[in-house]
Amino acid sequence: MADADPVSERLAAARPLSPHLSVYKPIITMAMSIAHRISGAALYAGAILLAFYLLGLALGPSAFSAVSWIASSLIGKAFVFLFSWALLHHLLGGVRHAIWDRGLYLDGPGRELLAKATLGGGVALTILLWAAVALFG
Amino acid sequence: MFESGRSGKGAAFTSDHSGSLHALAMRHSACALAPLGLLSVWFIAHLSGQPYEAARAELGRPFPAIALIAFICIAAYHARLGMETIVEDYVHDAALKRRALTVNKWLTIAIGATWTLSIMIIAAPR
Repeated sequence: MADADPVSERLAAARPLSPHLSVYKPIITMAMSIAHRISGAALYAGAILLAFYLLGLALGPSAFSAVSWIASSLIGKAFVFLFSWALLHHLLGGVRHAIWDRGLYLDGPGRELLAKATLGGGVALTILLWAAVALFG
Repeated sequence: MFESGRSGKGAAFTSDHSGSLHALAMRHSACALAPLGLLSVWFIAHLSGQPYEAARAELGRPFPAIALIAFICIAAYHARLGMETIVEDYVHDAALKRRALTVNKWLTIAIGATWTLSIMIIAAPR
């Protein structure tokens, strides 16, 4: 790759990209595909924030007071809530892919069902999680 | 990480045949992450709003500590591969792409290391 010749560089640059989002009718399977990528990227960012939180917790009370906003302030509580939703949604998105990998639910109605189940299941599991934390925490 | 094995004419059009490994690695790590993620999200949810001593006690127990360490080690690998796909899809400048992939590699290692070491310090007997 280091010394690709100018001709192939120019050809690669001129090569048309496949039609993107703007040419497709928005449908739920597409939305859940995008949501899977966004939730994955969000979990990446969330894992960085939680790394700071855990580091502060490990270092001691004074370090913890500097990072405890990550999980304890109003914004922090919203972050942990959204992190849990992203994780559960992404997890169910993975289950959906595992089902497809086995050749199941690949027809139109099946795909739609799995997309709806991912969305609904993610929301339901998140509510269930926080209800359980509040009740049995 | 996509890196064409060829240089010269046609370099931009060749595959390095790493796609199957990537796909399998994502699926195998996801298999482990499904149960570990469910456990971890439960323990992380409990940290929300906790003062110092309570949060230390929560992660000081062996099972949450081991589950979270196992989770982040596999999650960091899974996240690295996932972010590689995102970079390859959206970053088209070759030099910037290479830099982004390098940052991604070390960032995910740093995330995994920070979580692991922090939890080990928290859970270590005092």
